[in-house]
Amino acid sequence: MAGKSSSIAPTTYSPSPTLKVKKKQQQQQQPIFKDVDWVRPDGRSFQHCRPAFLRTGAVNSASGSAYAEFGNTKVIVSVFGPRESKKAMMFSDIGRLNCNVSYTTFASSIRGQGSEHKEFSSMLHKALEGAVMLESFPKTTVDVFALVLESGGSDLPVVISCASLALADAGIMMFDLVTSVSVSCLGTNLVIDPITEEESYQDGSLMITSMPSRNEVTQLTLSGDWSTPKIHEAMQLCLDACLKLGEIMRSCLREATSAPHE
Amino acid sequence: MGVTDVSGDMAGEMEVDAFRRLFPLRFYERHLSESIRPDARPLGKSRDTTVALGAVASADGSALAKIGHTTMLAAIKMEVMTPTSDSPDEGCIAIDFHMPAICSPLVRPGRPAEEAPVISKQLTDVILSFDGCWLFSSGMVNMKELCLIPGKAAWMAYLDIYCLDADGALFDAALLSAVAAFSHLHIPAVSLNDEGRVVSVSEEQVEGNSIKEPLNKGKRKLTLSSTPFALTCILHKKYILADPTAEEESIMETLVTVVLDVTGRLVSFYKPGGAFLAYTSAVQDCIALTRQRVKELQKILIDAIADMELD
Repeated sequence: MAGKSSSIAPTTYSPSPTLKVKKKQQQQQQPIFKDVDWVRPDGRSFQHCRPAFLRTGAVNSASGSAYAEFGNTKVIVSVFGPRESKKAMMFSDIGRLNCNVSYTTFASSIRGQGSEHKEFSSMLHKALEGAVMLESFPKTTVDVFALVLESGGSDLPVVISCASLALADAGIMMFDLVTSVSVSCLGTNLVIDPITEEESYQDGSLMITSMPSRNEVTQLTLSGDWSTPKIHEAMQLCLDACLKLGEIMRSCLREATSAPHE
Repeated sequence: MGVTDVSGDMAGEMEVDAFRRLFPLRFYERHLSESIRPDARPLGKSRDTTVALGAVASADGSALAKIGHTTMLAAIKMEVMTPTSDSPDEGCIAIDFHMPAICSPLVRPGRPAEEAPVISKQLTDVILSFDGCWLFSSGMVNMKELCLIPGKAAWMAYLDIYCLDADGALFDAALLSAVAAFSHLHIPAVSLNDEGRVVSVSEEQVEGNSIKEPLNKGKRKLTLSSTPFALTCILHKKYILADPTAEEESIMETLVTVVLDVTGRLVSFYKPGGAFLAYTSAVQDCIALTRQRVKELQKILIDAIADMELD
């Protein structure tokens, strides 16, 4: 669990450098930062993702759960159900997915209220509903609750990936695991898996949520200032990283099932 | 009457799991009569307990405590405030206990759990002193240590405890994580700027002497006196079960929580009603169990602190 990540070596899922020409371009063009040899605050290269640590079965009382630690971003997701829908709900012959994302008061550097994050809750729902086979649990609800223990940047992608792992742990049927990666555009540079500091300086951001083995995208958000070639490049980066993250998540699930039970 | 008779007859044929679900109380009583619990613990034994310090990097002090499956994450954030006129030389501690929806199937978002404010209040009562006279009270923290400039500036410590997994004995785990977070707490260095305001300074600035002497040099750690530890027990007929799981708490509802400090003084005793009344002997047994448990917990905490200092 938290702080105990040393037992399993964290694995990275950085995309392979797509085109070497593009890397050269990055160096030729003048970055917005004064220092040409600008390095990221945590010393990664631009296309290098943070080490990802994933573990299922973090919460014993839930039907399924997962813990994810990507650098300083730490998230727990619990899945409950399928269970009875709220009384006030209308009859539905397909299942319902109920998502909720909240933050702890100490998640960010300034103490917050620790309340529900409505925007992320609805984004998480939209990212997952296309992948979950809702018709496999008619008339009932599956609750997906996420708690961000510590916010270190790229929170939503981590929440989404962790949630799909928790759903898999709970045995909820899905078409594929859902993986999510974001890229920030800083001047002419594309930095993958940005930390909070980079996100605060970004000119634009792109987040892709995909089902890697089907090569389908369930959610794509794009904000800020982008040129078409940049979008194309960022999408390739994200999809490649999604594919690799999917492999890590799959191996995490395999480990959980092959490990002897307590 | 009918129910117990039926269960007696059917017990032989029924599968253990079905019996456990249909007649939970009889299931437990059969175990208890053999002096064992379904999870193979003797009645007076607590579950495995671990403490890890420094789990949250964004907080000034933090700890993760696990008792069995029950998991608590406590974190302290320090802020500078103006002290009240009643106590110009004292800081303040605000304690909040949260049960987010992830911790239990019984908690839904938007509807706070009933236990959460109760445990919040109990924690506040135990951790803070009641009478303001620190030497003779249970107060673990001397509020005067949280003072920066009398009447002008003092520390406000926000202690937030999150239950990540609820499986019984929530108060015990919450108190353990809170105490551990206080022993991990590293108060940030602050200094007075030219306008006379308190500003935080980074470690490098302190070492490089590029600014004035920090206000709180040498006062970066709190002196913790008489750390309290708790043990919750279930009273059921003549049996006393230490450190109950959520299942045990839901079936046998008479709970007794004892809080002792490391010197063995009674800090708090809490028995919120319940079906069974406690005889003096049962109370003494609970306190004796807690006394043993305090020794265990103290060792676990000391080991956790030693582990952290090695890293």
